Amino acid sequence: MFLALKEIKKEKLRSGLIIAMIALIGYLIFILTGLALGLAHENTDAINSWHVQRITLNATANTDMRQSTLTSAQIADLTSKEAALNEVSVVAKASGKKQQSAVFIGIRKGEFIYQNLKLTSGRRAQAAHEVVADMAFQQGGYKLGSTVKLGSAKQAYTIVGFTDHAKLNIAPVLYGQFATAQQIRGAVGTVASAVVSKRAGYTNPASGTKTYDTQQVIEKLPGYSAQNLTFGMMIGFLMVISLVIIAVFLYILTMQKLPNYAVLRAQGIPSGVLVRATIGQSLLLVVAGLVIAALFTIGTAAILPAAVPMAFDLPLLTAVAAGLLVMALLGSLIPVRAVLHVDPVSVIGG
Amino acid sequence: MSAFEIEHVNQVFGTGTARVQVLHDVNFAAEPGTLSLIMGPSGSGKSTFLTIAGGLLTPTSGTVTVGGKSYAQRTAKQRDALRLDAIGFVLQAYHLLPYLTVADQFKLVDRVKRGGNLPPETLHEVLTQLGIADLLDKYPAELSGGQQQRVAIARALYPDPTIILADEPTAALDSDRVKIVGQLFKDLATTHDKAVVIVTHDARLTAFADELYRMEDGVLTKQSA
Repeated sequence: MFLALKEIKKEKLRSGLIIAMIALIGYLIFILTGLALGLAHENTDAINSWHVQRITLNATANTDMRQSTLTSAQIADLTSKEAALNEVSVVAKASGKKQQSAVFIGIRKGEFIYQNLKLTSGRRAQAAHEVVADMAFQQGGYKLGSTVKLGSAKQAYTIVGFTDHAKLNIAPVLYGQFATAQQIRGAVGTVASAVVSKRAGYTNPASGTKTYDTQQVIEKLPGYSAQNLTFGMMIGFLMVISLVIIAVFLYILTMQKLPNYAVLRAQGIPSGVLVRATIGQSLLLVVAGLVIAALFTIGTAAILPAAVPMAFDLPLLTAVAAGLLVMALLGSLIPVRAVLHVDPVSVIGG
Repeated sequence: MSAFEIEHVNQVFGTGTARVQVLHDVNFAAEPGTLSLIMGPSGSGKSTFLTIAGGLLTPTSGTVTVGGKSYAQRTAKQRDALRLDAIGFVLQAYHLLPYLTVADQFKLVDRVKRGGNLPPETLHEVLTQLGIADLLDKYPAELSGGQQQRVAIARALYPDPTIILADEPTAALDSDRVKIVGQLFKDLATTHDKAVVIVTHDARLTAFADELYRMEDGVLTKQSA
């Protein structure tokens, strides 16, 4: 570390440029990770808030809750660990406000989703024409007592409460009564979309149903997997780019120092000292870049409007930072190889 | 006992039509307290001799013995340790690390070899003798070629080696500095009982030699000092 620190201290501009480049890449990776996580949350927030392990859908619904229709026989005999829900995609409208695509989820008063619904304000829906809305509605100008119409129906629904983290497939959720959802849906004989269970071993015994792990249903949310793969690929590519940058810069720096290292080797300085200096330099540059990137990310998170779907998870960002450090180590292997092969005889001439 | 001995060393580079024999049956012994000067034209094999003497190159045939043990009997790591502890290399291409100040060049040695280096007062004497005592906080780029060469000499002497191998140590120095450096090497030999071997073109150093050798076409011949 002695040599690495001395070199960074002396070569401030050169080191600064490398640190700046790593900081920018790190910042981009952090922001993309935040965006990926934020969007992922907006796809799954509602499901995650229920804390369920298994989801039963119609067997022919292609694991898509929106396409699932369950009859009253298929949702009979549920224990306190299960809850039925009825999901309907709607367009919410109110005079003077922009139309808002949303998801109406009908839930039953006696079941855990209703009972565990965490409100940021107001109360739970008790009457047929009452709803609890996601905070996105509040951010869109709705207040407790505001009314909203769903689709072309004339019926207005009153917002009696707001809840946070209630998004499904990026659309904000309106929680209302079970029968109301059935009414909006208008499908004869259909009473629910899904049964959700907190039990890991739950399987709905009714014929015509299929029970999945929650993650299976989440993976099948429209666009969810493709979006995650896209972000994963972008982050992966940026990791590889950071590896190339570190490797190229360190290689150039090391090649310039080979005659100096050859003299040191001739004088008996072990190659381990020079290898450690190279790896140490790589790690120091990346750590400095990551610290700056983290500060930028914190600053960005502080000024971002709430509408931007970003979420920062410390363990995830730490894992990303650790990944970049691994890239730095890998990037230093090429120059390390050059250091190990330095020939002290090359500097004895004449 | 000799500080190191070279016995029947031959060195061949290349094969077939590209085969060149650089050293022919070289025999040499460096004695403690003696400054040996090896002179010869470019390409005569002086540098190859020095690399073999320092354990950086294994000869095609023959043995090099240091401290009663040949290089062939030592691992690469042991040869590194030997060079660090017992052999001070003063190279014509001094290549001081550009991001270390003069003081840091010595600190680097301290970090690798934690004991047995010159005590501060002795280092100061050496630096003073070389005229670089006031350059400790300078980077190599801030020094002249001669100053860098003298720093490289001090750096090689800092681990207090018993053997000093110098390759054209006065190449960048004016006549006054040559006298100072020559006297320093002479003092190291006579006062500090070190075996000093210098390969050089510089005839100005002959005045300080106890033993004088000539290398021509790979053949080492002892001259009268």
